Amino acid sequence: MGEEWYKKYEEIGMEEWPSDFSTWKTMFLGFLAVAKPNPPDPFTEMLLDMFVDVARARMEGTRIIMHPFNYGPEIFYAMNLQPLMQEVFSVGLAPFHMNEPYIDITNQIGFGDNPTICNAQRPLIGACTSGEVPNPDLLFYLSAPCNSLATTYQVYQSMAGIPTFNVDIPYWDYDPTLEFYDEKTMGYVISQLKDLISWLEKETKQKFDVERFKQTMIWLNQARENVMEHNDLLKAVPSPVNSLESWRNYLIMVLRGGTPDAVKLTKWTRDYAAANVKKGIGGVPDEKIRIAWPYTHVFFDQDLFPWLEENFHAVTIMDMLGYYYVRSHDTSTIDKCFESLAIGTLDFSMIGTCRGPAEYYIDYLLRFVKDYKVDCVIMPIQFACKHVYAIARLASEAVRQEIGIPVLITGCDPYDSREVPSETIRGRIAEFLTQIVM
Amino acid sequence: MYALRKFAEGAPLPNPWIDGWKRERKKVVGYFCSYIPDEIIYAADILPVRIRARGCIDTPMGDAYMSATTCSFTRCCLELATRKQYDLLDGVVACNSCDQVRRLYDNLRFKAPFPYQHFLSIPSCVSDVTIDWFKHELSKFKKNLEESFGVKITDENLRRAIRVYNESRTLLRKLYELRKRDDPPITGTEAMNVVLAGVTIPREQFNELLARLLTEANEREGVSNYRARIMLVGSLLDDPNYVKVIEDLGGLVVTDSLCFGTRYFWDLVDETANPLEALAERYLSKVSCPRMTDGHPARTKFVRDQIKEFNVDGVIFQRMKFCPFWWGEIFMLHRELKEQGVPCLELEREYVLSGVGAMKTRVQAFMETLKTR
Repeated sequence: MGEEWYKKYEEIGMEEWPSDFSTWKTMFLGFLAVAKPNPPDPFTEMLLDMFVDVARARMEGTRIIMHPFNYGPEIFYAMNLQPLMQEVFSVGLAPFHMNEPYIDITNQIGFGDNPTICNAQRPLIGACTSGEVPNPDLLFYLSAPCNSLATTYQVYQSMAGIPTFNVDIPYWDYDPTLEFYDEKTMGYVISQLKDLISWLEKETKQKFDVERFKQTMIWLNQARENVMEHNDLLKAVPSPVNSLESWRNYLIMVLRGGTPDAVKLTKWTRDYAAANVKKGIGGVPDEKIRIAWPYTHVFFDQDLFPWLEENFHAVTIMDMLGYYYVRSHDTSTIDKCFESLAIGTLDFSMIGTCRGPAEYYIDYLLRFVKDYKVDCVIMPIQFACKHVYAIARLASEAVRQEIGIPVLITGCDPYDSREVPSETIRGRIAEFLTQIVM
Repeated sequence: MYALRKFAEGAPLPNPWIDGWKRERKKVVGYFCSYIPDEIIYAADILPVRIRARGCIDTPMGDAYMSATTCSFTRCCLELATRKQYDLLDGVVACNSCDQVRRLYDNLRFKAPFPYQHFLSIPSCVSDVTIDWFKHELSKFKKNLEESFGVKITDENLRRAIRVYNESRTLLRKLYELRKRDDPPITGTEAMNVVLAGVTIPREQFNELLARLLTEANEREGVSNYRARIMLVGSLLDDPNYVKVIEDLGGLVVTDSLCFGTRYFWDLVDETANPLEALAERYLSKVSCPRMTDGHPARTKFVRDQIKEFNVDGVIFQRMKFCPFWWGEIFMLHRELKEQGVPCLELEREYVLSGVGAMKTRVQAFMETLKTR
C-alpha cells in the first residue's frame, strides 16, 4: 500500500471523532492496521472510506440513515443521505471477539438469547445501551428476511427514539410460473418505496431529485451487470477466484450500490476473475472440492475459508450473501427506474432466497449446485435463524435426492465464538470432507 | 353452569361439534393465526378451526425437520400432522404470522400435505398500500376456496358471516365486561375455554351458548377470594391449565392480550363497507401482535388501557421459548410498564405445559410482591 495513501487515513484516525463513534473508530483503526502491510487495493480503500464517510457525515451535519444488511443504499445516496449498514458492527467486530461484550450487555438487560434472536442484530442493543454505536438520524428496515431483524430494529427504534420507516416485503406463495408472485407485487413494493421517499423528504426537508435518482439507478445497474458477469465467471473450473471474492461484491453493493465507486469496484472484481479464467488460473491452487455455502460466513473465524483452501484445496464458490443475483435493467424512464429499484429490493442477497416458501431457497440451492458444478454443501446456520434452519433438512433432502451430493448442516453462532468454537466447526467440516466428500 | 360445561367440551380438537359438522358431510378447514379472517371460510359453509397441538408430548420429527431451536408449537404441529392427528381437517390455511409458522407450512406441504392448502401473504405494517394488498390477498383466497371446494361465496354470504362473527365479538366483550367487576363471575381459566371453543365450534351455536353464558354468569356468585387481579400478555397460549396454575395461586386473570383472547375478538368488522375491504381493514388494524412492526405504540396503549379498565394489579408476560417477536415486545413493554410502576413478571414456557413447579414458585413470589386485596 502506498505510503501517502495510508498516511491519509492515519491522519484521519488521529482526528477527534464524535463520542458515540468510539467503537466505529476502533473498527476503522483495526482495519487500517490490518491493511497497512498489504499492497494497495481499491476494496480496502472502499471499506476505510465507508468508516470515514459516516464519521464525516456526522461532523458535517449530513443525515445518517441506518439500514440492514439486506437492502442496498442507492435510494439513500440519491437522497443525499449517508447510509450506515447496521450489521457492519456484528460482522466487523466478530473476528476480534468484540461482539461478545455487547452480546453480554444485551443479555444482561434481558433482550433475547442466542437461540431466539440472531446476533447479527442483537449486539446493537448492547452497544446502544453503552452509548458506543453511532446514533443515526433515521432508521429503515424491511419485514424480511427474518423476525430477528424486524424485532431488534423495533427494539432499537424504541430505545433510541429514532424516526423509522419500514417496508413490507410480500411473502411468496410458490408458483414457478410467476417471477414475482403476482401482478400486484411490483406495484406494491414500488408504492412503498415511493412512500419511503415521501417520508425521507419530510424528515430531511429535501426535495427528491429525479435526475439524481436516475443517475443513481444507472450506476446501480452498471454495477449489477458487472456482478452478474462475475457470477457467471465463477462457473469456470477451476474457480478463477478464491472463496472471498463474491463476498466482496456483496459488500460493494450493500455499502456503495448506486455510486460510481460500486461500478469501478465491481468492474475491478469482474476483470480480475475474467483475466484468471482466460489464463486458466484458479483462485485456489490445485482446486479439488467446490463448495456451496448457502448461508452466511462464520464471521468470527476469518481464517476458515483460507483453512479450507489450504488443507482441502476446497473453494467456496459463493456464500448466500455473496450470491447477489440482481440483473441489470432498463433505466430509460423514471418508471423503469422504480421498477428496477423494486426488483433489487425483492431480490437482494438473502431476501430473494428467503422471503418466500421453501421452494425458493431449495430452487436457488439446486440451481447453484448444478450451475457451479458443486461437490458438496455446507450450511453453518445461526441457531436463531428459523427461516433457514427450519427448512435446512428439506433442502438437504432435495439436494441429495436430485443431485446426489452430500450436505452438512451444523448449528453455530457466526457472531459469537463462545457458542460453538472454531475448532468444533472446523472439526465437523473436516470430518464431513474427509469421511463423506473425498 | 351449563354453558361453561359445554364450552369446556368444545375447546379440544376434535370435539362433538366438529364430529357433528363432519357427519353432515360438510368440510372443515384448519387455520393457524388470528390474522386469517375465518369469516371467509365460514361464508363458504366450511367450518374454520384454529389449529392447535394439544396432546403432543414429544417432537422427534419437528426437531429433525425444523430444528430444536424452533418454537415448540410449530414442532408439535408438524409432529401431530405426520402422525395423522389432523386427518379431520379437509385443508389448511396458513400465513406469514412469523418465520416459524411460515416454515411449518413448508414442512407440512412437504411431509404431511393436506388435501387443500392455501397461504395468505399478510403485510407487517398498516397503510393504505398494505390494506389494499391484503384486500387483494383476501379476494384470491376467496376465489381459491370457491374453486377448490366448488362453492360460491357471495357478498351476502360474507356479510352474513361478518354479522355472525361480530355478534361473537360483541358477546365476548360483554363477557369481558363482567370481568371488570370486583367479584367477576368468571375466571380467566373459564374465559379461555370460551374463546377456545369459539375457534372450534360452529359460530351460530357458539353465539347461542355465549348468550346463555352471559345470562348464567350474571346470576352466578362472583369470585372474591383472590389475592390480585392479573392481566396475562404474550404469545400463543391455548392451554387453560396454564391460566389455572396462576389462578390456583391467588392471581385472578381478569383480562389479557392473547391471540386466544382479546387480540382475537376485540375489534369489530365494519358491516356497512365492502366485505373484503372491511375484513382487510379490520384484520390489519386490529389489536396487533408484534408481527406488525409498526404496532408497538398501539399495543402498549391497549395494555395500559386494559390495566386501567380492569383494575389490574400485576401483569404476567408469558413467552414461548424461541419466539423472537414476543421477546422483543415483552422487553419493550416490561420497561414501559415498570416506569409506570406496574408490577410485572416474565415467564418463558414451552407449548406443552411443563416445569409447573418452577412456574408456581415464580408466580407465588410475584403474588407476594403484589398488594393483597
